[in-house]
Amino acid sequence: MKLQRIGALGALSMIAFANVAQAEYPERPVNMVIPYGAGGATDISARLIAEPLGTAVGKPLVMANITGAGGATGSVSVQNASPDGYTMLFARVGSHTVSPAMKATLPYTLDDFRFVTVYEINPVACAVNARSDIETMDDLIAKAKSEGVSYSSSGVGTLLHIAAAMVLNEFGIEDPTTSATHIPQKGGGGAATAVLNGTADMVCTNSSTLASFVKNGQLRPLLVTTEEPIPGFDAPTAVELGKPALTQLVGWTGIAGPDDLPDEVVEKWGGWMETATSDAEFRDALTANGSIIELMSPAEAQEFIQTQYETFRGLVDKLGMRVEG
Amino acid sequence: MSMLDSLAAGLALVGNLEAFLALAGGIAIGVIGGAIPGMSATMAVALTLPFTFAMQPITGILLLLGVYKGGIFGGSIPAILIKTPGTPASSATVLDGYPMAERGEAGRALGMSLWASCTADLVSNLALILVAGWLASFALSFGPPEFFTLILFSLTIIAGVSGDSLLRGALSAMLGLLLATVGLDLVYGTNRFTFGDPSLMGGLNFIAVLIGLFAIPEVLAMVWHPTGHLGKARKLGHNRVTLADYRRSFVSILRGSFIGVFLGSIPGIGAAPSAFLAYSEARRKSPNRANFGKGEIEGVAAAEAGNNGVAGATLIPLLALGVPGDVITAIIIGAFMVHGLQPGPMMFIMNVDIIYGLFLGLLISSVFLLIIGSVAIRGFRYVADVPRRLLVPVVLILCIYGVYAVNNNVFDVGVMFAMGWVGFLMMRCHVPAAPFLIAFILGPLLEDNFRQAMLMSGSDPSILVRGPITWFFWALTVITVVAILRSGLKSRRDAAPSGTPDPSPRS
Amino acid sequence: MNNRQTQTRLGLGAVIFSLLLAGLAIPRWVSSPSNVPNIVLSPLFWPYVLAGLTGLTGLGLLASRAFQDDDPTPINPPIDDPRRGALRLAGMALLMVVAMGLMSWLGMVWTCMGLLLATALLVRTRHPRAAMICAVAAPLLLYAFFAHVAGVAIPQGQLVRLP
Repeated sequence: MKLQRIGALGALSMIAFANVAQAEYPERPVNMVIPYGAGGATDISARLIAEPLGTAVGKPLVMANITGAGGATGSVSVQNASPDGYTMLFARVGSHTVSPAMKATLPYTLDDFRFVTVYEINPVACAVNARSDIETMDDLIAKAKSEGVSYSSSGVGTLLHIAAAMVLNEFGIEDPTTSATHIPQKGGGGAATAVLNGTADMVCTNSSTLASFVKNGQLRPLLVTTEEPIPGFDAPTAVELGKPALTQLVGWTGIAGPDDLPDEVVEKWGGWMETATSDAEFRDALTANGSIIELMSPAEAQEFIQTQYETFRGLVDKLGMRVEG
Repeated sequence: MSMLDSLAAGLALVGNLEAFLALAGGIAIGVIGGAIPGMSATMAVALTLPFTFAMQPITGILLLLGVYKGGIFGGSIPAILIKTPGTPASSATVLDGYPMAERGEAGRALGMSLWASCTADLVSNLALILVAGWLASFALSFGPPEFFTLILFSLTIIAGVSGDSLLRGALSAMLGLLLATVGLDLVYGTNRFTFGDPSLMGGLNFIAVLIGLFAIPEVLAMVWHPTGHLGKARKLGHNRVTLADYRRSFVSILRGSFIGVFLGSIPGIGAAPSAFLAYSEARRKSPNRANFGKGEIEGVAAAEAGNNGVAGATLIPLLALGVPGDVITAIIIGAFMVHGLQPGPMMFIMNVDIIYGLFLGLLISSVFLLIIGSVAIRGFRYVADVPRRLLVPVVLILCIYGVYAVNNNVFDVGVMFAMGWVGFLMMRCHVPAAPFLIAFILGPLLEDNFRQAMLMSGSDPSILVRGPITWFFWALTVITVVAILRSGLKSRRDAAPSGTPDPSPRS
Repeated sequence: MNNRQTQTRLGLGAVIFSLLLAGLAIPRWVSSPSNVPNIVLSPLFWPYVLAGLTGLTGLGLLASRAFQDDDPTPINPPIDDPRRGALRLAGMALLMVVAMGLMSWLGMVWTCMGLLLATALLVRTRHPRAAMICAVAAPLLLYAFFAHVAGVAIPQGQLVRLP
């Protein structure tokens, strides 16, 4: 009797399942995983796009913050999800190019994901305490060569970590892992605070994180990595300083699914993102945050991320920054 | 602009129905959110954030602050009623609140919790308004060495919550410290006790450990001995807190509030350690110290004053420096940014009307909290009337949902179950759980700040005594440890002739 | 188990645990890069300190037995049916394991319905009918709240999806 009922239930569910497969995607809410905590840069960006994107998709987007291990916990949950397009990830520079380049023990690689878009670029700026006597990059490098400098980050394998090392290396510090001290903090806010209270000399991070400190005259920007100057940052660009390679050093936010995501799902996301990113309210809100909206098609996104990953991977191998344990 | 002008401008901003409604609504959302274990004040604030994007800046921020304050108080409701802190900050409230509820004094404990919360809230807001500028300049002189000494001192709280046996408290703390090492190493990013499991790389979720340690052992104790609670007076108290109770605890409440203000104004400490410190200080100073941990109303008062005292004070570094003090204020900063406001010194010049508007709104919020809180207590305290053997399974389900919701991760539910068994074993062996929790919170902070200090100085230990703040905390630590050792030896000498250890309060 | 026995067991447990940590667990499961400039910066430093302190606490617990009388009163009041109590505990452990296993396949709501009912029966509630109602209502209400008010993605089963 009981077995029969279970059997019946199973059969029923098979029918339901078959229907799901035939119906037009999406026919139920889509889970969107944010691998970082509430209130952080990824979270704000994700929740801003969720408004217009939800309208474009036509089904609710359920936002889920799954934090831990620098974005790895949330990324793994999407890596292991079924590739039906109902579980998608807000991928970020830290979790998907820096960490894979630096951490040998990371439970996923870039190939485990299929990117459907990158929609936001965050310029990176380097800054020092406004009360320090470091006025330019040259001052910083001179100090690095004489007594050594320290830089803060939001942890091992984050954009902040590799950014500082890459900038120092570009400016002629042969071996930034030994001649500069990396002082990791917990969280991006902590990294800026560490420079503010004198724990570290320098921080390189998203310009949006630094904007208020720069505006308040608490931090002094030395460099921005974009080709164009950033409004509010009275600092030369990497191109002006003759280091065009540093323009690779930008943060981004994109959306990815598991690697065997069907093509029609990927296509649909491409269309939705076009609609969503043309929403005026979203554009205003995101650019007010200091971000640049740059919509990439699935193929462009895949290539952009691969290139950045290889740049970082090359640097990590050159400097011996890979975390093996 | 003179202060009076600024006040008038601020008044103009908050003097409308919308702002009042936002504040009241926020507090109501916060109390309910805080009262649901696993929701926690943090999550309630995070969930409310998107709704503020469309509002006026001041209305939106007041709404979030209301949620924050309501949430910190709301957490004490389940802490008292079902031994499940609704929010980490209310862990210390369990220590005396739950024994009171078991004695049938839930109403009294909840009432005291509300009064203490509101008093501390008021003190905290006043402190914010009066000394924001001064305390903020102080906050930036806290680097890793200062933090290290502060946290080392805070670990002495363990002695205050260890109950009868200091050594068992120490054992419990060691387990907490060890468990907190699970995850990725901060400095080198290498694995520690992760066994290759990606879910362990992020470390154990704090809420899962917290609920596992406090709530699940109650379920297991009920399974072990289903009729153990019968015959105990648990007919709810329709009893209320009296003015005499409040007067008796007033000193502890004030002390707790000031501890909250001080710790709140330093970024990175948070409300839970503050509540524990307020509690252990109250226990040390109180004439009823023998009754602490067995249902002493003063303990509830001190703990609640300690955590609510933080709420206003965390806005000091936020407004004055643009530095978030904890996760919740980090989310609130997001709300400022979305509205194009940049917290920091410039804000006191550019948007002084908003600052004063916030100050006025905060002052009103203490009154709202009192009104909305007492309504909530009236609604929630009937939980104590539900038959225990029905309530406990429902609490188990509630915990599962709550713990899952924190990080959308089923793994955390497993962590909660496992910690439940650890907590049950500890309960059977009379090893106190509170030191475990404190150590679990403070352990990573202690290690991280120590290593950051060593990185700063190139492994030169003299950085740990680099300035007056470090000297102050070293001295405080030494004095406290000596006091603990002396009182420990003294009680042992007193106890040795008569011999019998204290009969345990409950099994 | 009286107070002194508990103290002994806790002390012994702590000492053994610290030896296991220092000898086995830390070398095996804590990894450290080879180029750490100073011992105090190593990821291994803090775990070893903790292992040592745990051992010391254990020794302290053992030593402090000398100050305690051998009072025969057990620390936990005995229950009427210890054997069945242990069986119930084992049952609860089994329930937890089963619930964890079923969660992803059956979904959180249905799993919790079963778990709630089973736990209520395990503690021999005097109100089986009320328990039944709770078992159906509580998980559904919580689902409605968390999924639709709080916007949390509560795990859905492979079999029956809730709206």
